[in-house]
Amino acid sequence: MSAVITIANLRKQYSYAKRGRGLFGGFSPQHVSIDAVDGVSFQVERGERVAVIGPNGAGKSTTLKMLSGILEPTSGEASVLGLTPWRDRKALAYRIGVVFGQRSQLWGELPARDSFNQLRHIYDQDKAVFERRLGEMVERFALAELLDQPVHRMSLGQRMRCEITASLLHGPGLLFLDEPTIGLDVTAKAAIRDFIRDHARDHGQTVLLTSHDTRDIELVCDRVIVVNAGRVVVDQPTDQLRRRFLGRKIVTLLFNGAQIVLDLPGVTRRASDAHAVVLDVDTRLVRVEQVITAALTHGGVEDITIEDPPMEEVIHDIYASAVATR
Amino acid sequence: MIGFLRLYALQVGAAVRMSFADRANFALQVAGMAINNLVFLTLWVLFFAGFKSVGGWGFSDMALLLGLTMTIVGTCGVAFGGYRDMAVSILRGELVALLTQPKGLISRLLARESLATAWGDLAGGITVLSLFAKVSFTDLPLLILALSAGLTVYLSAAISFACLAFWASGARSFARDLTDFTLLFSSYPGSIYQGAVKVVAYSILPAGFVVMAPVEMLRAPSPTSVAVVVTAAVGYAALAAGLFHLGLRRYRSGASLA
Repeated sequence: MSAVITIANLRKQYSYAKRGRGLFGGFSPQHVSIDAVDGVSFQVERGERVAVIGPNGAGKSTTLKMLSGILEPTSGEASVLGLTPWRDRKALAYRIGVVFGQRSQLWGELPARDSFNQLRHIYDQDKAVFERRLGEMVERFALAELLDQPVHRMSLGQRMRCEITASLLHGPGLLFLDEPTIGLDVTAKAAIRDFIRDHARDHGQTVLLTSHDTRDIELVCDRVIVVNAGRVVVDQPTDQLRRRFLGRKIVTLLFNGAQIVLDLPGVTRRASDAHAVVLDVDTRLVRVEQVITAALTHGGVEDITIEDPPMEEVIHDIYASAVATR
Repeated sequence: MIGFLRLYALQVGAAVRMSFADRANFALQVAGMAINNLVFLTLWVLFFAGFKSVGGWGFSDMALLLGLTMTIVGTCGVAFGGYRDMAVSILRGELVALLTQPKGLISRLLARESLATAWGDLAGGITVLSLFAKVSFTDLPLLILALSAGLTVYLSAAISFACLAFWASGARSFARDLTDFTLLFSSYPGSIYQGAVKVVAYSILPAGFVVMAPVEMLRAPSPTSVAVVVTAAVGYAALAAGLFHLGLRRYRSGASLA
């Protein structure tokens, strides 16, 4: 295997003027520095699908912006497809695809087809190759009905399918995705994940994504890099991480009568009130289905919600584990 | 260059189609601007009915100035409409997505919108130039030069003002105010500006080079007047390009993103 991304001791420091106290505080600001990325190093091999995860402000998006050439680092080295991103931004742009979940590269008022066509010219694409790729995307991403619809009239999920299509039309070997499923419903998330994983696998494409959603990591990526406070905390295969940290579900049961006590292995009770019980379920010891069945057998259940633990909790567990093993 | 022009034409074409999308709104905006321009012109007609000249400027000179201003603002609005909200685009972080693409950064910002009202300005400008400005067919090459140079200075000034957004978040409306002031200065006879105001009109708010110097060139053509107009256009374009480049460097250093 060959490294597609190599970064060594990458740092990004932001500084900003913090307003002083009092009425005239604005006239005597203090300059504060923040280490958004603080000495990050890792390699990504060709064909790998890697998730960079971490809490808000951990430095995920900043790292992605440096690797795609948008931002210049304060110090450190990076090589992406043999290029230095911030020095060779334009050359690199032809070879990578980038999707920012909260920033669109499409023309909002135009039909998606027009946006795609303009991107063909921006990326100097041969028409026949472009049409073939677009046809493939349309089929695999079920875009036929969306092509002639203005982007601003699409749902968030439909728009994201078009954003990902736009980022792939020039055939990049490397795809950067920043929070690609943010704000999407369950069905749209599933469609996006399936597409990214299958497309990358079929085309030998390398993927680096950031996400807050543990399911994105589990279903798309084969390796996870956890960052916290600008530093890499854990770097390991998803399977290994899943076994240790992603085997939990949060089950919330709402009752219209008396609550129940579920005596099952791997089930611990979290905060509860008179009509609701929140359970922490370790799926390595008990299936969620068994927990639900037990609750329904008891009767009086009005509503059931099954969720993944918040990313902050997962990160906390990972971080605590990493610190403990040092 | 041909590739760039082709891409730009494609982007402007798309922007114009977007502005046409709501036809009733488009028609209302065009008509509104045409009426606005007509009222403005009528006021000058009434003014010059009472006073034959202002500092040596007669009605036909004023019509030439207004015709140039309307045509320049109209062309800018139709073909480079994104200039109006360029500072807002920068502050909203729209550059993040554009920087991941290999080309079309400024062009994408300028061609992101085509202003419906600009068609009213354009139509008004051509009408005024044709009917009231006393320019003959032989003046056409100089008229085209005057319009091109004035447009370059106006657009460059607007881009330079928008570049303030790389340094200050308050530039959101300030940049547009400065552009509007330049336009305001471009709407009155050049002879009324004296002293410090004249310095401002030929520097920070370059109305002098948008329309006044071009009007003087058309009325009294000479190698010097042509050189002034062309040099101003090249100078302001270079200034805008330089400021955008500097601002982009600052943006990519993360100072604007923090």
